[in-house]
Amino acid sequence: MKRFDCLKSLFSRMPDKVIVVGNVGDTTTLMLALRPSDANVYSVNLGSCTAVGLGVALALPHRRVVALDGDGNLLLNLAVLADIANQAPKNLSLLVQDNELYQSGGNVPSATAGLADLAGIAREAGIKNSRTVRDIGEFEATVNDILEGPGPLLVVAKIEKESERPQSPVAYNPTENKFRFVRYIERSEGVRILTLTQGSKIIL
Amino acid sequence: MAMKEEAVTEILNGLKEAGINFVSLLPDSEFSKVQMKLLVDPDVKCVPVSNEGIGVGVCAGAWLSGKVPALLVPTSGLLVATWPLASICMLWGIPVVLIIPFRGDMGDAHWVMRTYQYTTRPALEMLQIPYRIVERISEVKEAIGAARRSASGWLHPQAVVLTGEVIF
Repeated sequence: MKRFDCLKSLFSRMPDKVIVVGNVGDTTTLMLALRPSDANVYSVNLGSCTAVGLGVALALPHRRVVALDGDGNLLLNLAVLADIANQAPKNLSLLVQDNELYQSGGNVPSATAGLADLAGIAREAGIKNSRTVRDIGEFEATVNDILEGPGPLLVVAKIEKESERPQSPVAYNPTENKFRFVRYIERSEGVRILTLTQGSKIIL
Repeated sequence: MAMKEEAVTEILNGLKEAGINFVSLLPDSEFSKVQMKLLVDPDVKCVPVSNEGIGVGVCAGAWLSGKVPALLVPTSGLLVATWPLASICMLWGIPVVLIIPFRGDMGDAHWVMRTYQYTTRPALEMLQIPYRIVERISEVKEAIGAARRSASGWLHPQAVVLTGEVIF
């Protein structure tokens, strides 16, 4: 299964209000190409994507949150799976794109190229609704669950190593992403995140 | 080491008066008195995590989504949290208030803690996180409020490091 086909299928059916938290590397490049949106948090660095997704899901329990993680990224911080299981956010779906290597880091094999089974690890950590899909048909059959099913859900999509890495359509900047996302949440949720100050005090 | 009830109350009240409504934590011996109360406090969403790096990520996600977060992190856990503090909070400018019981400060007799005498301040300085070391219980609330104000205004983490009569 190609990562591009997998994400294209997901994003083509994704409502605008779904919040997506993506990991660093080619996932972010494809998010920018296939689903540019102020409801996206892009390029969360190694080990933190799913944790940031958990924080968003707990803060906004009425919004669907999809964390787009990778095998290497998630392997760095597997304990987050146990924390998600215990928090049990019904609005959080995790899609792990597992190409069994650190593609952005030079194609060195990850632990899932060996014996590690991320869906199995997640299941035993307490995320009972965890599964692995291996072709685009299987993936498409699970998209509704990712977008609407009860969470926490973890789907491991086994994807191919890519011979050519995707090219980002725009220059990405984390500061711009932060402000655009925060302003989007302020608008869509009617909350104030960025504070107004007067003198040394916060007034709003 | 046994935290006084008065200190526990001042920390809890300080968090609430500062507007902090989301806390992530990992247990730390005697500081667990504060943590156990937070776990059942209806005014604060409390998320226990299995390592402090996860707590940074959870707090960052919560702030992006409208919460005012704090991370209760022991001095040992501060070292665990350095990578996400650098790769998320420093890089993006995400305001998280760190409440750090200064295990390893002078007055802590446990030999295991000695390392943190040497690592805590340099780690905060390396991460460019402003901090205030608070020794008096009467100064706790003001320090937490100050940290929250600067964190929100500067969009940058701030730390309150608790020692002296606050934790010993």
